Amino acid sequence: MSADVRITAEPIDNGRCKFLVSEPLHAGGVRRFASPDEARGSPLAEAIFAIPGADVSEVIVSGNLVTVAKRSPAPWPVVGKAVGQAIRAALAGGQPAVTSKPAAPAGRGSAADDALYERVADLFDSQVNPMVARHGGRVELIDVQDAVVMVRMAGGCQGCGMADVTLRQGIEAMLHQHVPEVKGIVDITDHTAGSNPYFAAAKK
Amino acid sequence: MLRPSSPRLLLLLPTVTYRTVAFVEAARRLGADLTVASERPSTFERANPTGLVTLDFADPTHAAAQAREFARAHPVHGVVAVDDDTGVVAAAIAEALGLRGNPVAAAAAARDKYQQRQLLATAGLAVPRFELFTIAADPEKVASGVSYPCVLKPLRLSASRGVIRADTPAEFVAAFERIKRILDQTGCARSILVEEFVPGREVAVEGLVTQGALQVLALFDKPDPLDGPFFEETIYVTPSRLARTVQQEIAACAQATVHALGLRDGPIHAEVRHNDRGAWLIELAARPIGGRCSGALRFESRGAAGQMWEASLEEIIIRHALGMALPTLERERRASGVMMIPVPGAGVLRDVRGVGAAQAVPLVEEVVITMHSGQPLVPWPEGSRYPGFIFARGGTSEAVEAALRAAHARLEFLTEPAD
Repeated sequence: MSADVRITAEPIDNGRCKFLVSEPLHAGGVRRFASPDEARGSPLAEAIFAIPGADVSEVIVSGNLVTVAKRSPAPWPVVGKAVGQAIRAALAGGQPAVTSKPAAPAGRGSAADDALYERVADLFDSQVNPMVARHGGRVELIDVQDAVVMVRMAGGCQGCGMADVTLRQGIEAMLHQHVPEVKGIVDITDHTAGSNPYFAAAKK
Repeated sequence: MLRPSSPRLLLLLPTVTYRTVAFVEAARRLGADLTVASERPSTFERANPTGLVTLDFADPTHAAAQAREFARAHPVHGVVAVDDDTGVVAAAIAEALGLRGNPVAAAAAARDKYQQRQLLATAGLAVPRFELFTIAADPEKVASGVSYPCVLKPLRLSASRGVIRADTPAEFVAAFERIKRILDQTGCARSILVEEFVPGREVAVEGLVTQGALQVLALFDKPDPLDGPFFEETIYVTPSRLARTVQQEIAACAQATVHALGLRDGPIHAEVRHNDRGAWLIELAARPIGGRCSGALRFESRGAAGQMWEASLEEIIIRHALGMALPTLERERRASGVMMIPVPGAGVLRDVRGVGAAQAVPLVEEVVITMHSGQPLVPWPEGSRYPGFIFARGGTSEAVEAALRAAHARLEFLTEPAD
């Protein structure tokens, strides 16, 4: 199976890169790992955190998409090869690449994230999605983990040349204003699969 | 949240650009307070009026007035453009707001191939013979009066769109009619520049101009011959393998062009040919390299304490516009290259196979397919859009070029005939 695995790297900047995999890695929603401790028990995340010299700070796995954030200045092409190896090894292994999200201890993490999720979902329903709908777009709230919001864009937003402007100048700015407890936002969209982007890049 | 004292960057992003992520994320990394301006409104503009504005990119004077109005409430400290058209708008805004940038006349001349040729000739630079014709001219009559081989060019289209070489009067007439049809589709200036074909090896110069002085950031070889009849680009590799003295001639040619055009501050991207008569400026644009190609450039230095400082081209451009320190303008030591994947033929794209195999080629870092299934593939000269990009890095330019070619050979484009 893993011999034909196709992985496409999409660096967002030197600190963050998406890896689109031709096979699903995790069917149970989104898993976000913010430390090697959190990754324990999930072979893929463990392997990515263990990449020498990368100083990985975050791994997010959703369906066939892996988002990796790192602190080191090592270029993605170097780190990316190791991430690719980790992905292939995880798919070739006999156990799930990542485990399901464990229940959080009472009073920590999960309850606060659940409350944030509700507020962010309300904001998306009442303001964000009506706005992007004008361009045929849709923004799906996937999860909130450790106050980090994960979204997936669809319709006219998926593959749109201005999707990052919508994310940063639109959605993130609204979150800062209305839900200031949110620490960050991560786009886990596979923009290469967008078949009807509202603004298609047209210049070389 | 950003500090209130963060410098505000006005980033001019046309809605059709590929450059959005690279520039937006670079501005965020630098802690700039970002305002994105486009020619069409974002649906979030009312929700974030300081972060999103609509400017009239078609009318630089009007856009500058709009920017001045905006800046009254939200002072702007720098303006950055990403393409030829917004380069003129940025110049108008820079003049209106007293920001670092190019004079409007210089940016406009850089955008217009005929004005550019005139200014270079006036400045005494080596230029091929050239003449401007309106599309109302009789091509057969014009064809009898030009020398061959020659190149016909629309004045303002980018990515060599509509640029055609003609070796005979019959080819000239066919090319003239073909460009007329392209101009009809695009609504561009209805004139055609005809100039003598300049043989020789072509290179691309990526540079940064500061108070009129050009700093060459990278010199890219273009190892595939660009002899026409069309001029679709393929591979860029740096460092150049040309002799040091030739590279110096090319840099001097680019600097002389910057001076002749009157460019003052900002990025430039120039195409220069070199033959036994010296360096010839083919075209210089007051903007950075296009498409995703900036991914082939990385700048780095090591601080006194051993810490590594690394920057993208976009970070350097933004730092320059905002007057921030530039720790280095030295490109990384490794060779680097990009292939603009050639359009495999006319049709509708259905699938691209072999991406994984292409990525597995040693030294290849990334294969990016930017076209989506269902989108039309339009070959040059009518087209201007590549289906994707391949990036590679390695010890030598030869190795990088070989890796790009090997990766491309593994790609298979599945298409259907267009309706």
